[in-house]
Amino acid sequence: MRRPLLGALGATLDVALSQECRTAALCREERESVRKGLTIPYPLPLVRQQGPHAVIRFEQVSKRYESGHEALSQLSFEVAAGQMAFVTGHSGAGKSTLLKLIALIERPSHGQIVVDGQSLAKVGRSGVPKLRRRLGMVFQDHRLLMDRTVFANVELPLVIGGIAPAERSRRVRAALEKVGLLAYERQLPDSLSTGEQQRVGIARAIVARPAVLIADEPTGNLDPQLAVEIMGLFAEFQEIGTTVLIASHDLPLIKRMHKRVVVLDHGRLVADIAAEEVL
Amino acid sequence: MNAPAMTDKPAPRSERSHARRFAGWREHHGWSAMASLRRLGSRPLGTLMTVAVLGLALALPLAFYLLLANVQSMGDALGRNPAISVFLKADQASAQANLLAGELRARPDVAAVTIKTPQQGLDELATLQGFSGAVHALDDNNPLPWVLVVQPKPGLDAAAVDRLAASLRGERAVDLVQDSGQWRQRLDALLGVGHRVVLVLAGLLALAALLVVGNTVRTDIASRSEEIGVLLLVGASRAFVRRPYLYAGLWYGLLGGALAALLALAIELVLTGPAEALDGAYGGSLRLGALPWWLLLAVPLAAAVLGWVGARLVSAWQLRKAA
Repeated sequence: MRRPLLGALGATLDVALSQECRTAALCREERESVRKGLTIPYPLPLVRQQGPHAVIRFEQVSKRYESGHEALSQLSFEVAAGQMAFVTGHSGAGKSTLLKLIALIERPSHGQIVVDGQSLAKVGRSGVPKLRRRLGMVFQDHRLLMDRTVFANVELPLVIGGIAPAERSRRVRAALEKVGLLAYERQLPDSLSTGEQQRVGIARAIVARPAVLIADEPTGNLDPQLAVEIMGLFAEFQEIGTTVLIASHDLPLIKRMHKRVVVLDHGRLVADIAAEEVL
Repeated sequence: MNAPAMTDKPAPRSERSHARRFAGWREHHGWSAMASLRRLGSRPLGTLMTVAVLGLALALPLAFYLLLANVQSMGDALGRNPAISVFLKADQASAQANLLAGELRARPDVAAVTIKTPQQGLDELATLQGFSGAVHALDDNNPLPWVLVVQPKPGLDAAAVDRLAASLRGERAVDLVQDSGQWRQRLDALLGVGHRVVLVLAGLLALAALLVVGNTVRTDIASRSEEIGVLLLVGASRAFVRRPYLYAGLWYGLLGGALAALLALAIELVLTGPAEALDGAYGGSLRLGALPWWLLLAVPLAAAVLGWVGARLVSAWQLRKAA
């Protein structure tokens, strides 16, 4: 049975059913609800530093590729913990490069980037996987493994993280329930629609409870209705404490979300619009 | 006595974390081993071809080793009692032969001396096919000399036997010295060359096996570059990504090595009949040998290590490119 995507699990319920079990009463309640099969608790993200501090910080960051093309120039901005922001701009404005720098797929030519309290300049080759395990990444083309089931795809970050099988199963099912695809766990991604595949990608990105969720054109291949649903999912993750940064050029959709918008043009920051200013 | 309070406390977070990581690492090793084996099984023809090439490549040095070991064994059996034939000058008589034999028996490097009279030599010659007519034609004119057959002391090395032969050549009454151990020395020299050739061949074929596994793993990695990209993006370390390919290399090597051992056994089986016939012709003194069991076990294990190393080298290079 498909679950409604938006508002299915509110932040309050999530806190109450969190895996962290902050009080004995909540733990009992959670165990009871799982036992009865009422719900699968979705765990809170492991945000290492709570509060209004910056989880993503760019300081005078430039990126020039070997071809000589300057994708980003003197870019400085911050995203606070638990904030959701869009990065937008025309094609080639530097949106994807910005996300690649956060995930250490590329290194900056100049400047400093700090993610979740860690300066990326100090992250060596062996530290890259550890950093990526702290990020959730969603791609326009989903990047799913088509020869593995939906469950196995979502399970990947947990297998890599060395999580025990029973715990993995619990978390994967919780993430799949969160994106409304629990009924499809044994299917191959090929048998799903594009929107469903994207939701599998999102479940994979959030299953390891990342502090930061980054998404590169996550609705690029989706029709407007599906795009709204997917963005709604991201908003839900923000509501439970995850910092979300989305690169998108879909301005009508961005306006509709009423979140902070960072506008790039030829690699430069040309506007930084607060959520309340988005009309 | 009360149990220590520590036993009631949960393990520190770092210890739990290490234990969890180790359990995950162990689980992924198990998964990688089985997944790579399943992947090999999912394309039986390709796997069979690779394993067959590896098996043939590794069986060749084994077959040569078997051949050399048996030639050496035959040489040992045939050359067990090398003797030196000392032909005296034609004018030497029975007294000189006995005198010289007595002197030689007193030497520390001589085990025994047998005297062959000219008549005994003629009789031996007459028994050889085609020589009886010629021997009868001689009537009473026996041209053969007195011969002393000198048996060197057992355990004497080739140099000492050479020195003995040289000293015999220096005797005034001696016309010619024939050292039957020389052929054995030549055979040993030839076997030495053969052993070296087998070693070089084994090294080259091991390198070929390494390259075969490496290339197979390389194409495997290339065909799964998309999957590798995804794994790296979601936080997999290179060691994690590499693991299934290392096990694939190990399986290829192990299966190839096992096939090589089976092929070597089959060769041994094919040669058993003719070898037994040869042994029979020499009165069962040839001591023809089989491949030792430890070698048959060592070949698959060594090949598995070889496969692992080949996969490790190639995957490190490929993943560096992918990363």
